[in-house]
Amino acid sequence: MANDRTDLMQGTLELLILNTLARESMHGYGIVQRIHEAAEDLLKVEDGSLYPALYRMEERGWIKSEWGVSENNRRARFYKLTRKGRTQLEAERANWNRISKAVTRILQAT
Amino acid sequence: MKIRTAIANLFKNPNRKQIVFEVEDELQFHIEMLERKYVDDGMSAAAAKAAALRRFGSLERAMKQCVDIRSRNSRLRRVLKISSILLLLTGVSIRILSSDLKVDHIGDVLMMIAIAGRLLLYVRGLSPSTFLSGTNETCPSIVTEPPKEARYS
Repeated sequence: MANDRTDLMQGTLELLILNTLARESMHGYGIVQRIHEAAEDLLKVEDGSLYPALYRMEERGWIKSEWGVSENNRRARFYKLTRKGRTQLEAERANWNRISKAVTRILQAT
Repeated sequence: MKIRTAIANLFKNPNRKQIVFEVEDELQFHIEMLERKYVDDGMSAAAAKAAALRRFGSLERAMKQCVDIRSRNSRLRRVLKISSILLLLTGVSIRILSSDLKVDHIGDVLMMIAIAGRLLLYVRGLSPSTFLSGTNETCPSIVTEPPKEARYS
């Protein structure tokens, strides 16, 4: 079963997080759930790896966080995209498109 | 030795306990939400807890990484703040004590640098890490299988 495991390319998780937060602010659990739903369980991100990524992204100024109240009235930290994060998202999207196009071309050529 | 301790205390992060508490609270919330989801899917409380922890991965590792990142940012902010204050005080001292025009200008420049440095910290989206190139660590983006208990849901 170990062969079924696939590593996400470095930085991919950040792209997924930025894209998820582009719509609305969310807490960490909401972000992971949204990614799982969108990927239709084809990708499974280890939930614990999300938080160091979120913290690093906040450190870089791509996202901002603040404490709020969750849907079940529990204190939760909500994340939202900053202007810098939105710019980063565009750059990451463009980069991803370039890579995926290049890999597809190589695969088709061989 | 006393001076060294005093300097160390000056730069020691006073908020570490608070950082640990907040990170713990945030991660705990995530695990609680997972548990709740699995219970709603029909698992027993014990099975839901085990599945939640399995899906989350290493809680200890996540905690450590998060606390380190937060502390690093907080400590750097503190160092920058203290440096700005020291620079400002030096500038003010030179300004007050000097009658020499050139030294006078040095005081003004130091004060300007201190104020500008302090203002930079308040600029939206700008954090101390922006100035550091060594913070671009790899992301532990691991794709795993879903927990066995969750598959039938």
